[in-house]
Amino acid sequence: MLTNNAASSGPAIVVEGVTKTFAPIGGGARCRALDHVSLTVAASEVVVIIGPSGSGKSTLLRTINALEKVDEGRIVVAGIEATSPKANLQTLRMGVGMVFQHFNLFLHKTALENVMLPQIIVRKKSRAEAMEISKAFLDKVGVLDRGDHYPGQLSGGQQQRVAIARALAMQPQVMLFDEATSALDPEMVGGILDLMAEMAADGMTMVAVTHEMRFARSAADRVVFMDGGTIIEQGAPEDIFDRATNERTRKFLSQIH
Amino acid sequence: MSTSALQVAISVMPALMAGLVETLKISAAGIVVGSALGLLLGVIRGQQFRYASPAIGFYLHVLRGTPFLVQLYIAYFVLPSTGISWLKWDSTTAALVALSIYTSSYVTEIVSGGIRAVPAGQWEGAMACAMNRWQSLRYVILPQALKLILPSLAGVYVNLIKATSIVSVVGITELTRQGEISILRFPADVLLIYGIVAAIYFSYCFPALKAVEWLERRAARGS
Repeated sequence: MLTNNAASSGPAIVVEGVTKTFAPIGGGARCRALDHVSLTVAASEVVVIIGPSGSGKSTLLRTINALEKVDEGRIVVAGIEATSPKANLQTLRMGVGMVFQHFNLFLHKTALENVMLPQIIVRKKSRAEAMEISKAFLDKVGVLDRGDHYPGQLSGGQQQRVAIARALAMQPQVMLFDEATSALDPEMVGGILDLMAEMAADGMTMVAVTHEMRFARSAADRVVFMDGGTIIEQGAPEDIFDRATNERTRKFLSQIH
Repeated sequence: MSTSALQVAISVMPALMAGLVETLKISAAGIVVGSALGLLLGVIRGQQFRYASPAIGFYLHVLRGTPFLVQLYIAYFVLPSTGISWLKWDSTTAALVALSIYTSSYVTEIVSGGIRAVPAGQWEGAMACAMNRWQSLRYVILPQALKLILPSLAGVYVNLIKATSIVSVVGITELTRQGEISILRFPADVLLIYGIVAAIYFSYCFPALKAVEWLERRAARGS
């Protein structure tokens, strides 16, 4: 694929000095969600971001596919400058799959149609081709037999599988997971995490925001701890979980277990 | 009495039917143009653009805070007196412009409300799949908004059909005006003639209500 050329030469994601503020509801000083954050993710690397709620980890993830505009700084994904005003966001997002906490499946479409729609609209595939690809991906994530169901007729775990199939079917170079298991019933979490671990093993470049520390420990190449809109500490999973040097990291990790 | 009532009814019927045809034409044009304008403005307003959305809000408030009759008078009597040549409208044009704008104000609010009622996650899901704003709107947001919009639109259309009776004041011989003319012919049968006129309006509005009810049920099956 042509779009892969730029990615193969350098890091998959470069985030440089990114600052993002939000106007609070009801006025007042703008709240700083990200404060000069820099992060580089190599191709095929699996980065897990952990941290307390409000630490800016989801915001950081959402700046990578330009769902959030940044105030300052530069983001390059697969060779495309996401923060450039001239960036073609559609091209950028074709290379970046995203999985949300609340799935965000198209509610008026069946599971199969959910996977097919972006293939047809964005990738300009024929209906037949889109259907073939979509069925293959639904099969891969284990919900091919649910293809005719609407999102409302599926369990949370099944919906998230469809959402993962929808993202993967676009053949992204990078996958972003924004608390992909937080809204699931406990018995559904393991299956989704296994699926994510499988993707990681297949060499997918992944950035995942999660509260699942066991997943972070087993699947991550690197764990990033964020607090107050900045990266406090990062390193190999065992360095963060067993030998964290920063007081805030240690305090956070002691609180979650 | 009953034979004479029947005779009156039969003799005014051709005039009332001619009036109904006029009413059908005016209301159909008002529905088409008003809906198109309302859809366009509603789609813009529903997305909360910084300048366009408040500007459209102002347009809506002005239109909804003034009586239709006054709007019609402005379109027919005031605008032509400005001396601007393209604003010199005949009564039909003035009536159509006034009806379309009046209808658009309600359609705009319904469409923008329907768009805003679709959860923000649907936009994000579409955008994350690399759809642009227009594709997201066309394939993800509007189909879901439409379900919420249809029943309210029925009410607007029925209101519009009834509002066409007001355009008789600028000299359009639609159904109500034809009724008034018929009453001049048969002054003793005011009740009968207005009764027939009301029955004709009802037989036009009622199927319109039913049709949208059917559409609503059909759309609801999707979920």
